[in-house]
Amino acid sequence: MKSRREFIKTGLALGATFSLADLHGLFAADASPGGGAPAIPATNASRSVLIAVRDGSRTAMLDKAIAELGGMERFVKKGQTVVIKPNISFDAPPERGSNTDPELLGHVVTLCFAAGAKSVSFFDHTLDQWQRAYAASGAERVARETGAALVPGNDQSLYREVAIPRGVQLRSARVHSLVLDSDVFINVPVLKHHGGPLMSACMKNLMGVVWDRRFYHRNDLNQCIADFLTFKQPALNILDAYHPMVRNGPHGRSVDDVVEMRTLLASTDIVAIDAAGAKMLGLQPAEVGYVKLAADMKLGTMNLDNVDIRRFKLA
Amino acid sequence: MPRSRLKLLRVIAALVVFTGLTAALVDFRGLVPTALGHWLASVQLVPSLVALVTGASVSLAGIIIIGVTLAAGRVYCSAICPLGILQDVVARIVAWTRRKGTRSLPYARPWTWLRQLFLWGTVAGVAAGWSGLTLALLDPYSNFGRIAADIFRPLVTLANNAVAGLANAAGIGTLYRVEPQWTGAGALHQPAILLALLAVLVALRGRLFCNTLCPVGTFLGLLAQRAAFRLAIDKSACQKCAACLGVCKSQCINLRTSTIDFSRCVACYNCIGACQDRGIGYRFAWARQANIRPAPTAPDLQRRAFITGTAVAVAASLGTGSLLLAQVQKLRANRARGNDRDQNEPEPSNAICPPGAVSVDRFLERCTACHLCISACPTHVLQPAFLEYGIAGMMMPRLDFARSFCAYTCRTCEEVCPDGAISLLELADKQVARIGEAQFDEDKCIVKTKGTDCAACSEQCPTQAVSTVPYGRNLRLPRVNRDLCIGCGGCEYACPVLPAKAITVTGLRRHSQAQKSAEKKAVAPTPAGGFPF
Repeated sequence: MKSRREFIKTGLALGATFSLADLHGLFAADASPGGGAPAIPATNASRSVLIAVRDGSRTAMLDKAIAELGGMERFVKKGQTVVIKPNISFDAPPERGSNTDPELLGHVVTLCFAAGAKSVSFFDHTLDQWQRAYAASGAERVARETGAALVPGNDQSLYREVAIPRGVQLRSARVHSLVLDSDVFINVPVLKHHGGPLMSACMKNLMGVVWDRRFYHRNDLNQCIADFLTFKQPALNILDAYHPMVRNGPHGRSVDDVVEMRTLLASTDIVAIDAAGAKMLGLQPAEVGYVKLAADMKLGTMNLDNVDIRRFKLA
Repeated sequence: MPRSRLKLLRVIAALVVFTGLTAALVDFRGLVPTALGHWLASVQLVPSLVALVTGASVSLAGIIIIGVTLAAGRVYCSAICPLGILQDVVARIVAWTRRKGTRSLPYARPWTWLRQLFLWGTVAGVAAGWSGLTLALLDPYSNFGRIAADIFRPLVTLANNAVAGLANAAGIGTLYRVEPQWTGAGALHQPAILLALLAVLVALRGRLFCNTLCPVGTFLGLLAQRAAFRLAIDKSACQKCAACLGVCKSQCINLRTSTIDFSRCVACYNCIGACQDRGIGYRFAWARQANIRPAPTAPDLQRRAFITGTAVAVAASLGTGSLLLAQVQKLRANRARGNDRDQNEPEPSNAICPPGAVSVDRFLERCTACHLCISACPTHVLQPAFLEYGIAGMMMPRLDFARSFCAYTCRTCEEVCPDGAISLLELADKQVARIGEAQFDEDKCIVKTKGTDCAACSEQCPTQAVSTVPYGRNLRLPRVNRDLCIGCGGCEYACPVLPAKAITVTGLRRHSQAQKSAEKKAVAPTPAGGFPF
């Protein structure tokens, strides 16, 4: 994990730039991540764009989606540090659909480097034992092959307490310093069923950047998931829906739980992309508690009629 | 450089065994291959004999050690036994810190009665059905295991964290911080006291522990006393310079009679190299007209002790074997008889033992609490028990679901266990080995008490024995399917309810088998081909 060096350097550099007290600095950075893409879509000014691609290989679908969004250069500027948050939480192989597919993850890393990223790191605060999850999900191999940094997510000392003033339930949280300190934050989860809020996709995936997951579960899971978005939103969300786990989620029992749909979604609007994910699982977006709450808090667009959906079939 | 080739061999063997075992036991990152720890532990006398006698494996290491001892004395005690080697390491440290150089220890008479007491005590403990705890307390390998795993491991982890901080600041990314795993005081006091005792004994009296308290040392000493080749002093060459006394850790060289008490000699071979006159060496002692005779001063006493000892040792090994076998058969019979009743009302256990242990009773009989599995466990769910199993299970590994849970795809503890206390199951069998059963108390559940979604338990459940069912207004309440539950503890660990969890796992005294789900391939929730939005 040579990447850790980069991470520490970044941490030191950024630590000097932003003091913890200066959280507004972080928000300012969020509002226009990468210097252009709107992370929090303005309510009326412009419609959110959702790219939906079907029937290609994961890499081909990703290439198409990113090209449609204006290229990775729109999100990653030369010399920037990038943190990717995949879902690599489970000690299960890629075919089980519990984790973000390694091929897709690897290709996101490659595109970031091609856009001139100084460093690309990824991590997850895993549910299963972290080394086993990193290995089984294929993330370890991706890091080795692409030169990205795979950083431990189970080390409490890497998380820093931040205030979440606009949160309803989640008023503060310890957040992984990579998320706090990197220039660009990219969310690459997998679409899955969830036994609680019915779906795990982009918003739910962000629980993995926080130290105390149990706090969420104890204090209205759906509200906490929505609250986190008031603190930080990814510059870009890429949802792996190649073979979603449609039941027994988010852990899953066997490969029988996945159904091949060969789809990839991408958007800067995390609520819109999750709303589309819900539809793919046969749900109404408002049935997923946190999607509705986030929409009510004006953190994105749940009503897909108000979203500029661009659909592509590659085959 | 040792002047004796035998000593050189002994030091090399000791370094290999000690380094390997210590690395396996302090391995806080899971870097040491499980096979190495397993192999080095399996060649230890007690684990090997336990495995052989219980039929866990055809482990011949113990037989070979006995054979070597009968041939050439207690080679085991200085070259293979990690607790013996640890004492040599402590002795080195003591020597460095002493200003006036090494202190030489004079000859001392053996404490035969105390040695016999510990040996007999061990035999009695095993015979009384307390084999696990007895061996745990007295087996030198297992004692070393606990010292290394419970004391050295967290200290090494702390050192790693200090170095990792510096290394990362310097741009080296191969190290990372690891949470140190502290053993609870209830299980920690025994290795801590023993380590302190060893340090004092080594500083004052050399290998007195090995020659007085250690039943393995005494047992092997009884054989060594009768060994075919024994170290002896060549009277014609000896100048009585006492150079050998200066290097002997066992206080077993009697220069007045020019004899070596070979039952207490730990075969370190220091004396061979120390003797300028080449006056000490192995002599064949089974010849009819042996040159070496027992010391004339107390021949009867020694002889009597030896004969009694050998008789006891033989009886002990036979007795232990038959008793253990009898117990195993009794257990099997019990299990067979209990099977019908089992299905309806399994007997609960306060402490939960790992998959592969088969039953708490079998486990407590065979486990010598060496803590190799505790060190190797990647989730750290395995923790030493205090009184959770009762007194007979003190220091034995148990699954602590407050700390973690048992990983579904993991068989590490089964792979490292040297004495078959945790049998190596096929992964498919491990994944249905039911060690406990989840109990859900919906009145404590967040979904009911707060009216918000949770499903933390189901999120963690690998078999989906814990799933959720619709509840109230767009909520999902956990539900347990007992047939599928294996008792891994994921649900209990994940449950966020304070102070008492809403879902807990009750251990099973006898493990049983869970069912595999018969669910068919999932169907697509939306029409295939297009976009459902």
